[in-house]
Amino acid sequence: MPERAKQSYLGKVALIAWREFRHTALTPSFIIGAIAVPLLMIGVVVGAPLLLSQESPPLIGSIAVVDPSGTIVPRAKAILEKPVSIAERVEEIRKDPPKSTAEQMSAVSAMSSVGQQKIEVTWRAETDPARVDAIKSDLQSGTLLAGASIGADVLDPTKPSTPFDLYIPSALSPKHVTQISQAIQKAIEEERVARSGIDAALLDRLSGAAEPKTMRVSPEGAVAPEITELRFIVPVAFMFLLWITVFTSANYLLTTTIEEKSNKVMEVLLAAASPMQLLVGKILGYAAISAVMLVMYGGTGLAGLSVLAMLDLVPLMHIAYLVIFFVMGYLMVAAMMSAVGSAVSDLREAQSLVGPVMMVLFVPVALWFPIVENPNGTLATVASFIPPATPFVMIMRLTATTEPIPMWQAVVGIAWGFFCAIAMMWLAARIFRVGVLMQGKPPSPKELIRWAFVR
Amino acid sequence: MLLEHAKKSFGSVQAVKGISLEIAERSLCGFLGPNGAGKSTTIRMIMSIIAPDSGSVSVMGSSALEMKDRIGYLPEERGLYRKMKVGEFVAYMARLKGVHGAGLARKIDDWLERLELPGVAKRRCEELSKGQQQKIQLLASIIHEPDLLILDEPFSGLDPVNGRLVLELIRAEQARGATIIFSTHQMHTAEALCDKVILINKGEKVLDASLAELRARYDDRGLVCEPLGGVEEFAARALRAGIAAHARTHDNGTVDLDLAPGRQATDAMRAVIELAPMRSVGLRRMNLDDLFVELVGGPASTGTEGTQKKGAKIDA
Repeated sequence: MPERAKQSYLGKVALIAWREFRHTALTPSFIIGAIAVPLLMIGVVVGAPLLLSQESPPLIGSIAVVDPSGTIVPRAKAILEKPVSIAERVEEIRKDPPKSTAEQMSAVSAMSSVGQQKIEVTWRAETDPARVDAIKSDLQSGTLLAGASIGADVLDPTKPSTPFDLYIPSALSPKHVTQISQAIQKAIEEERVARSGIDAALLDRLSGAAEPKTMRVSPEGAVAPEITELRFIVPVAFMFLLWITVFTSANYLLTTTIEEKSNKVMEVLLAAASPMQLLVGKILGYAAISAVMLVMYGGTGLAGLSVLAMLDLVPLMHIAYLVIFFVMGYLMVAAMMSAVGSAVSDLREAQSLVGPVMMVLFVPVALWFPIVENPNGTLATVASFIPPATPFVMIMRLTATTEPIPMWQAVVGIAWGFFCAIAMMWLAARIFRVGVLMQGKPPSPKELIRWAFVR
Repeated sequence: MLLEHAKKSFGSVQAVKGISLEIAERSLCGFLGPNGAGKSTTIRMIMSIIAPDSGSVSVMGSSALEMKDRIGYLPEERGLYRKMKVGEFVAYMARLKGVHGAGLARKIDDWLERLELPGVAKRRCEELSKGQQQKIQLLASIIHEPDLLILDEPFSGLDPVNGRLVLELIRAEQARGATIIFSTHQMHTAEALCDKVILINKGEKVLDASLAELRARYDDRGLVCEPLGGVEEFAARALRAGIAAHARTHDNGTVDLDLAPGRQATDAMRAVIELAPMRSVGLRRMNLDDLFVELVGGPASTGTEGTQKKGAKIDA
């Protein structure tokens, strides 16, 4: 026979937390999603260049060059048609690293399309400068891929480099423009070197500066090649790991609270548990889900670093910081989501209330580079004390290896962050208590504050 | 259960204006009132889901927050976890109320059989019909054998068969020893079930009495007759014979007779039977429907059952 006894306060909290965990995390959709997300990310990293390479269009058509010297066309033709090896492409990128995202994508595309692009270009050499107008009309009629005009001064090695004119039709793809302009640029460079009488091979050998081969020595004495980019990637990875795990489960918290309200199950629950028990149970349940994701994704990252013998990039103290700021970040975001979820009837209403706070939360995502590059800068310091951005900025500042931050800032940041998290939880509990029973028009932020202080 | 001068406002609207009431242990009390009268707000205050602005609420000598596990509650707005299985949902609610042990699943199955819902334990709540969902919610409110059962509109949306099933279940819960409060618009159901009736209108209590007291107070001196012949002719004869001072005929073939001064009801019934062949003759008694209209000043439920008359019948 079932036994009946008074359910304890914590017993109810645990029951609610377990239900939330069980009906969210132990479902096929969550498990598939949790496995699918990392797989998808790997797929994007590996598959994107392949997809980009397949989209690399063939270069077919005619190019006219007005060049009184007559030397540029043969050189440009040879350069454009010469198969480029990956090593040469890497060297090009090393000499002139891509600066913008667009240039990075272009470089990835260029790397992946090495030896795969079909090039069938007919070159037309013109010696009369007056032919430029004819070239322009050919471009208008669509019979030319591109046209160029090389002035005599451009090839004079005694004078500094001057620009040459490149004419293109409006429909020519940026990739083709780059290819054609680079071929002509390289041809001009070769011709200028040839005219100066300098040995081109000697110039090539002398122009490359000596590159350091950086080796990193770990505290245990292990020596491994240094990858400077990882020094940036590690703090950013920590921040994104926090961001994704906290927001995924806080979003579940928001949607299930709204669902319980709209399904009218809230009042049934309130007949069995107090609003505080319900809130704490829900927050703990989704905290467990968040923790599972943190361990899963974080563990995958650590395993990857271990394989690359770079585990020393993540000292134990960083893991401790991750746990501290995970708890702080989750409490802040969960407080916000549960309060809003209790006050509204659908997601659309929730978005208008969460929107302003989300702006603050996007600060670490949008400004990660200046924060990691200069963790003691004014931007990083100020942002790390503005809740709810505190945990996400602090984790980047503390794990950035570019320069250590003052210890007092770390201590004050943690204390201030937890103070704010507890204050937010208190406000959320007050709003939740009133909000769960409210129906109809969504409250304004002012009304939410009033709810927090109503008896 | 005791409510003393409980008041509750929502913004500028005063939903409950100082209600005081006391409900005895093991009684079956009906909360009546028109829509928006303050019944659900009063019930929510009793449940400690909302706190009164002033006044006090005491349930079993304590607050409902302390006594939640001994109270069963069916809210007016029904709610289920749509994706959850029926058995899991009922077990979850039972565990929240402190019911544990291996026998819980068996108990749920037995109850489902009793509610004529065998085999639904493994089905998702969203797969059930509205009436079935309502019975599951009722089950969730009684599975822990509460000492106090509060049911907000338990009959709304139920067909007559299920309505009767729920009615029997409420009676069984009372027989088990539970104190029951239920709100309803259906006056005939309240008359059939309640020991006590509390009528709330515009946030105020306008009636608080047992059915026996109400009958003694509001039963009037009259007969309801159903003659086999024409109602007009029968009414005229009753007036001429000095049985009634006034008579009202109805389209359904009945005649209301207000007894003439000095006439005893039993004597008048005999005289009526002698006057004409009758299908039925009964004492006209107080009915809650009319009382509701009189006290609230508006129509009660428009449900067909709610307008039926009730009387002690003597076959002709």
